[in-house]
Amino acid sequence: MDIFTLFYRLILKPLAHERLRTTLTVLAVSLGVAAVLAIDLAGQAAAGSFRSSLETLTGKTNLEVTSAGGIPPDVFARLAAAPYPLKLHPRIEDYGVIAGAVRRTVPIVGIDLLSEGSSESSGLSDLSAANSVWVTSGLGYKRGDRIRLLTNDTVSDFTVRGVLDNQAEEAIVMDLALAARVLRPGGRLDRILIEAPATRSIEEWQILLRHYLPPGVAIARQGTQTEENQRMLEAFRWNLNVLSYVSLAVGAFLIYNTISVSVVRRRFEIGILRAIGTSRIAILAAILGEAGCLGLVGGIVGIVLGRILSEGAVKLVASTVASLYFSSRPAPISLTWETALWGLVIGVGISLVSALLPAWEASRVTPVEAMARGRREHQARVHRWRSAAIAILLALAAWIASRQGPVDGKPLYGYICALLSIGAMALVIPSLVSGLAQLATGLLRRVFGVEALLATRGLVGSLRRTSVLVGALSTAIAVLTAVGIMVGSFRETVLVWMDDVLQADLFLSPAVPAGADRHPTMSADIPAQLARLPEVAAVDQLRAYELNYQGLPTTIGGIEASVRGHRRRQSFLSGAPAEKVFRELIGNDAVIVSEPFANKHHIRAGDTFQLELGGKLGSFRVLDIFYDYSSERGLILMDRATLLRYLPDAEPSNVAVFLKPGVSLDAAQRAVERVIAGRRVAVVRNRTLRDQAIQVFDRTFAITYVLEALAVFVAVTGVGGALLALVIDRRREFGLLRFLGAANQQVRRIILFEAGLLGVLANIAGITLGFILSLLLIHVINKQSFGWTIQFHWPVTVLLTALSTVYVATVLSGLYPAKIAIGLAPIEVIHEE
Amino acid sequence: MDFPTSGTVWIDETSTSTLSDAALTRVRREKVGFIFQSFQLLPTLSVIENVELPLMLAGRKEPRAVAAERLRWVEMEAYADRMPFQLSGGQMQRVAIARAIANAPSIILADEPTGNLDTATSEVILALLRRSADEFGAIVLMATHSLEAIGKADTVVGLHDGRVESVKGAAEVPAKL
Repeated sequence: MDIFTLFYRLILKPLAHERLRTTLTVLAVSLGVAAVLAIDLAGQAAAGSFRSSLETLTGKTNLEVTSAGGIPPDVFARLAAAPYPLKLHPRIEDYGVIAGAVRRTVPIVGIDLLSEGSSESSGLSDLSAANSVWVTSGLGYKRGDRIRLLTNDTVSDFTVRGVLDNQAEEAIVMDLALAARVLRPGGRLDRILIEAPATRSIEEWQILLRHYLPPGVAIARQGTQTEENQRMLEAFRWNLNVLSYVSLAVGAFLIYNTISVSVVRRRFEIGILRAIGTSRIAILAAILGEAGCLGLVGGIVGIVLGRILSEGAVKLVASTVASLYFSSRPAPISLTWETALWGLVIGVGISLVSALLPAWEASRVTPVEAMARGRREHQARVHRWRSAAIAILLALAAWIASRQGPVDGKPLYGYICALLSIGAMALVIPSLVSGLAQLATGLLRRVFGVEALLATRGLVGSLRRTSVLVGALSTAIAVLTAVGIMVGSFRETVLVWMDDVLQADLFLSPAVPAGADRHPTMSADIPAQLARLPEVAAVDQLRAYELNYQGLPTTIGGIEASVRGHRRRQSFLSGAPAEKVFRELIGNDAVIVSEPFANKHHIRAGDTFQLELGGKLGSFRVLDIFYDYSSERGLILMDRATLLRYLPDAEPSNVAVFLKPGVSLDAAQRAVERVIAGRRVAVVRNRTLRDQAIQVFDRTFAITYVLEALAVFVAVTGVGGALLALVIDRRREFGLLRFLGAANQQVRRIILFEAGLLGVLANIAGITLGFILSLLLIHVINKQSFGWTIQFHWPVTVLLTALSTVYVATVLSGLYPAKIAIGLAPIEVIHEE
Repeated sequence: MDFPTSGTVWIDETSTSTLSDAALTRVRREKVGFIFQSFQLLPTLSVIENVELPLMLAGRKEPRAVAAERLRWVEMEAYADRMPFQLSGGQMQRVAIARAIANAPSIILADEPTGNLDTATSEVILALLRRSADEFGAIVLMATHSLEAIGKADTVVGLHDGRVESVKGAAEVPAKL
């Protein structure tokens, strides 16, 4: 018999015949592939969105000049005076809000229209009119429309002079002079794009032009920031990608189970084939071919599903990117051939790997053994003690892996440790199942009767199958538990931290939404006016700027150290009292840095580092490292007066107001609102700010819940499918029970009890493994990826709700197999023997 | 377990064709015991648990004591805690008989009960079936090709291609066919 006929008869025909089992397995593979692709596509879209088409508005530039806090006005003149044929494109870039029924935040780009207007492709014309703006077509305005635009704390009216048709993104373009008046009263530029001729390489131009720039002003190849942002996102995307592979791993258990069932059920046929001369290799290839088919179909379905799921995922990922990293709009999702091929590779790959062991065992079957009557219950032996010994070795290796540092900034060993732990648990499960079942059989029988006895013995009787099912479900539960504990602990840590640092009663910020890389400001006179109010005890203010430190974006801020020292319970890694540290900040070139910043850049208290600020180079001593959960990019804080020496812009980004004891909050808020009347500044109470912060937090982790839910769904579906296979395999037993007087409901109870027991065992294994993985997530993976210290906390309610939902779903997944068991014809199944 | 294609099966003056599924289950529990050629013990239950099974399914009180008594009756009490795979074929069939009589049924249906056994063991099993009829008052309805088994019966119904060919007393059946 040739291999194709063999494959068709032994594999394809039964697959088509057992539609439900085949469908469930394909579903498991496809959901796993879909999760991986959806996250990858969403991550790419969220990260790719800052590749702005607006970059091309000014022609083909290849270098960019930037500086923290803006480029001093004289830099442009210096570059313009350089004796080279350069084209300079100064830009002011910010965000504004279009006032209206729906407030839309849009990028504002200020360019030098006089020089750019001649650019044929730009579409800019009619340059002379006052308060003129040009809009991209996506915004839906037409020439002559009026736009009311909120920038920082000011509202201004503009007239649309033209629509830029060839721009895919939403943006408002205005003349540099107007942008400077509205956005940068100090005259600083955000970027100077340079079009340098190809007579020299970019690197040579960079070195050459460096001489015309003061310290603190950087020149780099254009797009460097894009690369930095990509790099900054790496850890985030990496961790999310790893989480997306969990469904695939759970799917692997189920493919293993399906192929094992398939082998056990075809033992007799395999025996005949071997007896008539079919080679071991042919049997191995046929069984692997079955897995390959399941993987291929699962992969194809997974690609389609992944593309659909990515639409939802990109919203969640982009929202996290915007809150934690940089302002972005998701780019369109692009499913490339490479991505689709990767979907197929992982679908087929995971199926083949999962099927390898059962296929190998099938190929080792001897004809006599396979064809012997009464051996249909044969199961490959489970070497419990050997498995337990290997599990101990894996656990040891996992422990060693957990002690290793990051590799290229990624917690590679952390994930190896997680994989080893999952492997160790999978190997312990047979001992756990048989041990617990043997211990509990007597009790279960007394309490729940004969059904409990039969269910327990049935599960132990098919130990290998049961172990695989418990392995799959417990892996999903473990990840659910681990991520649940990690997020719960993180949330609790953030709540405690907010209690410490959010001590002020009222918080003021410009009505323009801020972002991780956006720090709109408000009028400089506001803090002083607020301080004069009789209700106010103290006013703290923060001025934040974007800064690039060692190739990574971060935030630098100036604070009222004297106010914070008294009013804020800031915790430092050294344990030093906040008052002492803040006092030392005053009058010194000293900073405190956040924990993620210190971890990213390997900075310790006492170190000194240099910062390029506002065209000056400063040397700053790190006084201490503070716990901070507001930014993954990291935060450098110094006294406001110190920062003003480098960047003399007094406008604050945020203001915090501390009220005198006994003052009515309502009355104080009214007084504050009177001070800011006419300016677009939002006043938020302490409680509201905390609620908003925790909402952002919850939104950030929404995607993890989706991925966990997917993994659990795959596992529960798999349990249903596997129970069905178990019923079909044990149909003789169920037929016999009917002979012996079992009623329909007793048969149903046996199956549901088995599902329930599987659920209990999976919960015990899953919660144990989940606890270990949560420690790994909190203390190793999070620490190495993001650098936060998270205090361990059991989120009891969340875990109980999630786990009981999974448990109920697992029990209910037994309903259909129970229906099949009841419908079996006892005479037929007994006579099959 | 099955319905006649023609005719009626009466058990204790009740036609089985008229019974609901639940009532048929009750009949199987209370009035019928089954013995199979391939023993059909549940491999995951111990010997005594196998015998207890019909009692537990029927919700009887003290199933363990009854099961122990039935095992004593088939002289298998020493094997009560063994698992089926630790028994020989004859021992398994003895346990199967103990299970069949556990509920003291009025009919025992035996399908080739000696088909998988050697002659000496078959003798023991057939003697037990005979005792079941004699001591429990159960009707043992046995399908067999074995002349030794036929020799133990009171009435022998000969079937040929699914049709009744003869109804005779055991003494009328020739020793060799």
